[in-house]
Formats: sequence, C-alpha cells, structure tokens
Amino acid sequence: MSALRRPPPLAVVAVVALAVLMLVPMLWVLILSFKDNTALLADTASAFVPPYTFANYRNIMGEGQVFTWLMNSVIVSLAMTAGVLIVSSLAGYGFARLEFPGRKILFVVVLFGLAIPEQAVIIGRHQIFSALSMHNSYTALVVPGLSMPFGVFLMTQYFRAIPVEIDEAAMLDGASRFRIFWRILLPLTIPAQATLGIFTFFQAWNDYWWPLISATDGQMYTLTVGIAATQVNFAQAEGLGFLMAQAVFAGLPTLIVYLIFQKYIVRAVAGAAGQ
Amino acid sequence: MSGVLLAGVTKRFGDALIVDRLSLDIAAGEFVVFLGPSGCGKSTLLRMIAGLESVDEGEILIDGRRVDHLPPGARGVAMVFQHYALYPHMTIRKNLSFGLRNMGVPADEIDRRIDAATKSLEIEALLDRRPGQLSGGQRQRAAIARAIVKQPALFLFDEPLSNLDAALRGRTRIELAQLHQQLRTTMIFVTHDQVEAMTLADRIVVINDRRIEQIGTPMEIYRRPATQFVASFVGTPKINLLPVTVDRSGAAAQVRLGDGTVLETAVSSVSLPGEADMTLGLRPERIRIAPLERGDTRGEARVVERLGERTLVHVRLADGAMLVAEDRGDSDVQAGQAVGLAMEGACAHLFARDGTAYHGVSA
Amino acid sequence: MAMGDATLRSRLSQSAPWRRWSGLLFVAPYLLLFAAMLILPLIIGLRLSTTRSDLFGVKAEVGLENYARLFSDPVFLKAVGNTFYFVALTVPALTIIGLALALVLNNASRWSAVLRAVFFASTVLSVTVVTLIWRLVLIPDGGLAAVIARLFGQAPIAFLSDPVLAMPAIALTTIWWGIGLPMVLFLAALQQVPRDLYEAAALDNASRPRILFSITLPAIRRTIALVVIIEIILQFQLFGQAQLMTGGGPNNSTRPVVLFIYEAGWKQWQLGYAAAAAQVLFAMIAIAAMAQYYVSSRKEPA
Repeated sequence: MSALRRPPPLAVVAVVALAVLMLVPMLWVLILSFKDNTALLADTASAFVPPYTFANYRNIMGEGQVFTWLMNSVIVSLAMTAGVLIVSSLAGYGFARLEFPGRKILFVVVLFGLAIPEQAVIIGRHQIFSALSMHNSYTALVVPGLSMPFGVFLMTQYFRAIPVEIDEAAMLDGASRFRIFWRILLPLTIPAQATLGIFTFFQAWNDYWWPLISATDGQMYTLTVGIAATQVNFAQAEGLGFLMAQAVFAGLPTLIVYLIFQKYIVRAVAGAAGQ
Repeated sequence: MSGVLLAGVTKRFGDALIVDRLSLDIAAGEFVVFLGPSGCGKSTLLRMIAGLESVDEGEILIDGRRVDHLPPGARGVAMVFQHYALYPHMTIRKNLSFGLRNMGVPADEIDRRIDAATKSLEIEALLDRRPGQLSGGQRQRAAIARAIVKQPALFLFDEPLSNLDAALRGRTRIELAQLHQQLRTTMIFVTHDQVEAMTLADRIVVINDRRIEQIGTPMEIYRRPATQFVASFVGTPKINLLPVTVDRSGAAAQVRLGDGTVLETAVSSVSLPGEADMTLGLRPERIRIAPLERGDTRGEARVVERLGERTLVHVRLADGAMLVAEDRGDSDVQAGQAVGLAMEGACAHLFARDGTAYHGVSA
Repeated sequence: MAMGDATLRSRLSQSAPWRRWSGLLFVAPYLLLFAAMLILPLIIGLRLSTTRSDLFGVKAEVGLENYARLFSDPVFLKAVGNTFYFVALTVPALTIIGLALALVLNNASRWSAVLRAVFFASTVLSVTVVTLIWRLVLIPDGGLAAVIARLFGQAPIAFLSDPVLAMPAIALTTIWWGIGLPMVLFLAALQQVPRDLYEAAALDNASRPRILFSITLPAIRRTIALVVIIEIILQFQLFGQAQLMTGGGPNNSTRPVVLFIYEAGWKQWQLGYAAAAAQVLFAMIAIAAMAQYYVSSRKEPA
C-alpha cells in the first residue's frame, strides 16, 4: 500500500526541480535587494558576490511614501475584512435561518452575482464614485469589495450545516433571536469566519485594478498600486536594488501571513474556487 | 388541575394536515408517552406544545395558562432533544446556565441548581468539559440536567433515547422513571419504541396518521387495544392476526380459522358488526405449544427462537397461515416438527374491516 | 443538515409569525451593498455601452454602434485573439502541471508539505510584486535570464519586447504565479478518492500507470473539468501582468481584452466604448461560468 502511494523517483526529481524554479526568481530578487544600486547598474551578475548592503531598506524607511502605502493597504484590507465578515454573517444567518418574503429568490439572485466578473461592473462603480466625488478615499477603496457574494454564500452554507435543534434549544432557553445569533450560532461559525476573513484580506491586499483607477492620488495608493507606480519608471531614478527592496517589502508580509495561516488560506482559496 | 390541556389542536403544512383537531387532557404530574410510527404527527404535536411549531387552530394550556401564542422561552417548559442539542462551544456548566441567565435567575441560585442537578445525575465532574468531549450517555445526562435546572412546569422529551446503545437505553429508561418519581413534574415523552412507552408511561397516547388511536394506561393499551393498529403496534413479538369467519349464533362469537379450526371467543355476538369475515387477534403468549393430540389445532414448526426464559415457535398452519406461539424456555420443539397449538380463545380480539377492536369481557 | 426548506420554514418562522419581516433586517445590509455595488454598476455599464460617453458624461445615444465598432476594430479583435492565445498557453499547462504536482505531493510526508507550501507561496503575492520579480528575471539588461545566457556565452534575449516571445513570457509568469490553485484543488479531490479503491487495485496487481488511468483520473474527472473552467475564467481576465510587463506591446501582441477595456476607459476616456467591450468579455465569461455551474452541480458518479 505505502509502496504504491510513494511516487516514482523520477517524478520526485522533476517536482523538486520545479520547486527550485519556483524559488529562484524570489531568491534573485532577494539578493538584488541587498546590493548597491551603482554596482548593479554596472553588472547585475555582481549580485552573486559581496559586498551586500542594507542601504536599500534604509532608503525605504526614509522614503515616506512606501509607509503611507503600507498603512493604506493595512487600513483598507482590515476594513474590508471586518466589513465582509459582519455583512456576510448577518446575511448568511438570515438566508439560512430566517423566513421573510422573497428569501429564496433573493438568495438565488445573490448566487447569480457570483458569476459577475469585476470587468462588468468596474466602469459602473467608477461612475458612481465619480458622481459622489468620493474617489481617493478609504470608503471608495473598501465599499465595492463588500458586495462580494462569496462570503454570503459561504456563511449561508455554514449556518445551514448547524443543526436547527441548537436554535430550538436556545429558543426554549428563552434566548431572543439576536441572542441566539450572537451567543450560540456565531461562535459556532468561527472556522468559516477565519477562512472568509483570510481570503478577503488577501483579496483586498492584492487588489489591483480598482485601487489603480480609484486611488489616483499618490497619498491614497495601496501598496500594490504603489509598487506598480514605481515600476513604470523602472530601473530609473532609484535603481534596481531599491526597486527589489520594495518588492521584498511588499511581498514579504503576505508570504509571512501565508506561512502562518497556510491551512486556512489553502482551504479558503480552494473553497472559493470550488463553489 | 390539569397539567396540559390540548383542545382541538390542528396543524397544517401548506395543504397537508399534520395534526387534526386533537384534544387531550394530561393531569399534573402525569408521565404521558406519545407513541406512534414515524411521520404520525407525534413529534409535531410535542413541538407545538413547546412552541417550536405554531398552532393553526385550537388551544394549548399549561397549568391552566393559555400558552399557544407565547414564544417557546415563555412557556415554562424544558425539552430534551433527540440529538441533545447541547451548545457545542460552551462548557456543560455554561450550557446549563444559559437558559437560567436568560430567565434572570440570580447567580447563586444558578450555581445551587446546577450543583443539585449534576449531583443527582452524577455528572459534576464533567461541568468544565464541552459536549464534544463527552460520550453519548454523558451528553444525554447533560441534556437532561439542562432541562432539570430550569425547574419547568412541563418536561418534553423528543425520542431522547434513540441515539443510545441498547444497554444504555435500558439504564436511562429506569433513571427517567426514577426522575419522574422524584420530581413529580408533568412529562411528555415522544417515542416510536413501544417498550419505552410501556415501561415509562402513566398513560400512553397512541397516535397514527395524525389522529389519536387510543389513550390509556400501558396495560389497557396492551390488553384492550382500541384498534387493530394499536394491537399490532404494541407488543413484542407482534400479535398474531388471522382472517376468520364469524359465527354469531351463540352469546359469544365463534370463529373459524382458515385451516378449519373453530375457536370459542369471549366477544359478545351482539356487539359485533354484521361482517362475516373479520380478523382474529391473539397474542403469542395466548397460543401455547401443546401435545399434538390435545391442541385446538396443529401445524409445523418452521423457526424456533430460544430466548432463554421462553421459546417462540413460528408455526405454519395447514392452510399456510403463519403464527407465533410460545413455549417454555426449555422447550424441546425442533424446526420441522409437527406441533399442537392450544389457543386461549377467551383472550382473543376481533377486528372489523375498519380496524375497530372487539374484546371479550374478561380480557 | 438534511432539512427541506419547507420544514425549516415551518420550524423557525411560523412559530413567530409576528416577525415575518424581521429576517429581512439581517440580509438588508448585504442586499444594499449588492444592489449598489454590483447590480447598479452592471446596469450603468450596460447603459453606457449604448452611448458615447467620456469623463464628463453621456455625449450621445448611439444604440449598438459601439458593439459594431468593436467588431471592426482591429485592436479589439487582436485583443480577443490574444486573450484566447493566452488562455491556450496557460490553462492546459496549469491543469497538467497542477495535476502532476498534486499526484506526486499527495502524501503525508514532511517534504511533501514543504513542497506544497513552496508551490502555493507565489499565489499569495500581488500581481505587482509578481511582475516586478519576473521583469527582473526577463529583462535583457541584467535580468537573471540574461545573466545565465551570458554564462553560457549566449546573447541575452529580450523576451518582453519580442512580439513572438512576449506572450509566452507573460504566460510563464502567470503559471508561476497561479500554479498553487489547481494544485490544491486537485489535492482536495485526491483526498476524496476512497482508499479501498487503491487497496483493491493493489490486490489486483494493477501497475502504477494503470492505477492512474483507470482509477485516479476517472475518480477526479469532475474536478479536472472544474479546474479547466475555473482557469479559463481566471485567465480570460488577464490584466495586470500584461499592463505592467509589456503595456500590451510590442505592436499589440500582448494586449488582452481587459487591458483594452482599461485603456479605452481610462486612457482614452471612451467610457461607452470601454463598457461595450466589458459586456463582450462578460458574455464570454458568463458562458464559461454556466459551464462551471453545470459541471459542479452534477453529481460525481460513484
């Protein structure tokens, strides 16, 4: 049995080789980020030999903008995550447990929303925020993301999986409907909240197109858009090493969060795609 | 004073009638079992009393107070669910105190009640665990404790023993009976298991197809079943049902079985309807294995089930009809052997085509 | 919980008829957002697509003229072709490599866990970081590929400014970025294949390829279909990689539909025209999404 499950050696070698190919670009960027810009300008192959320097990272610290972008990303991602969790939990509970006129048809409509790609709505969203003169605001960066139907779908499924007997026991215990939601059912959905929360956070952190067109003021860039903006004048003013330090600076937080929450993230991504 | 009064209670799901104008008076302190096959409406009825289902017509009173318009938490009832429905994320102590907090019971009183209930159910040691860490039997006790601490006017049990293994079920049954003796609170217990009904109930309400078939003490239900359904639903092994033709010439009706055997019953001829063909009901313990020449009839033993204290013999009569007879525990009957059958006609029931039962005076 | 809607309804609501509408309060916040940020923009987009509009509003009602113009616009047609070409480059590779990785790494060993983490790690990076990394690999002027080429005495290749190589380079970047998703989807599916199937096959002396082709692949064929459709939908939406790595060039050879929409809308401010292109893309994706729904709602045959 175990012998059969063990993959053939050739396949293992191939997979390890692929894994190295996965890592090489990241490592390349990492070592470039520790090199002096003028040395790189002469020859990037110098990256393989010392001296190495922290100068590029020091420059990032000195450069106020990157920090502003980082803070914007943190604020926008956290706000969107909190918002999606709240709104999806309420709606999931409503769709799974409560009865009101139109419940079924509304849920079907929301499910259809899963099929609407960003491209089909982004022009309309842009028009709406233009009309409200609300571009270059946290509101504009956060609110569109809250309409994501996936969270409602996930939470509805999760609430449905909780036996109705639990609600009934709480009703007999004299708990109000909100108390049942808040004290009994919501704590039971924590695994789903974790999955949805991490998924949303990454979605928000890595979102590119919407912040690109909504946050046109450099002070309102998210880190993702900011890194894009510095790429445009690629390898000019600040130099390669500085650019690479920014890439590391922008990529490392997500990689660290990924390594910590790996299980949840994989589950969230697989769940989001599999629905 | 009555514990629970149901008056013309009706329930519909869309066009389907689930409970049909059902009336029932349960005395305070009584242990009543709703017995019936699945889908008969017994659980719906219980849930209507609990307030988990609305009442479309009729009234429900608990301790003389009309409750059918009240939410579940305001009815003064406690319920033990089939799957226990303990709150998975709370410790047992929190599970027990949740309802009391909602009711505004003071903290020291809550502690006192939890202590008393868990001590009597021997689960004090489990108070800081969560339901997931408990065995099925322990969860069951925790669920019962959660009901007890509320000191309700009425306990409701929705098939609470169906998820326990056989040994635990027997033990819990006895404990529930003791609990009732100790608390003397009105209890309603829903089950499809007639043994649970027989052993626990002061009175059994047999429900079938949305209607009450019979209300009575366990022995009344067993000995004088009101309908053929009740007769066949209650009793293990099942009552023998044989088609017979009825002779009403005497004071007591005589019946002729398919194999020609004539049996004198104790059922009054004049009470019977005009049907010539009826169904004879005779419990296995009223048919004994007898020596071949001394029986009322004879047949071939097909299957012999030895239960230890008695033996069940499945007998095929000459006309091919099958019935179950009883013999002593040390019976020497073998499968394939011809046996005589002694039938206690005086204990026989007759069932009309509509299921109505007719009994002998002595039965 | 196997509980029908009718039962649920009766269980929870008929007990509280006076609260018939209160349930709506729980879903109202989401429904408002859904209406304002999804339905309304969709309608605005549809309406804009029949107008000539710019930054300052609707200039003229033009009916279906935008659509007619699109289908005679060589740049748009080229973008559609590029998009399909990109899908053809990436989707089979993502599916096959993802499946192969899952097959090799579907075991409980520690090294497999590490390798799974490696292959998924790039997925969590943002498109701007990914493109930055890959530009630094691919640029002829000091990129990693150029350094390696020089090591072998070859002239560096300008991948991103070569009309033939630019799209494959973007595809390679995308595969590197996105290989984690098909891998984890296949891993999840492989976990669901009953062990006793393999045990029975082992007792039948089945060879390794035979087990793969007559047990494993048939058991996960629904997932294979699902992965293909999901990847088609995802790769149809190619935007950031092309915008940041090549800007659609050289000579429009890497301009996908989404980049066309972006440039029509936010570079040339022809919002009506951009909206019409967005509807065409939406239709393309909707067809794929319907296929996804069809596949995922069908029961897996045992």
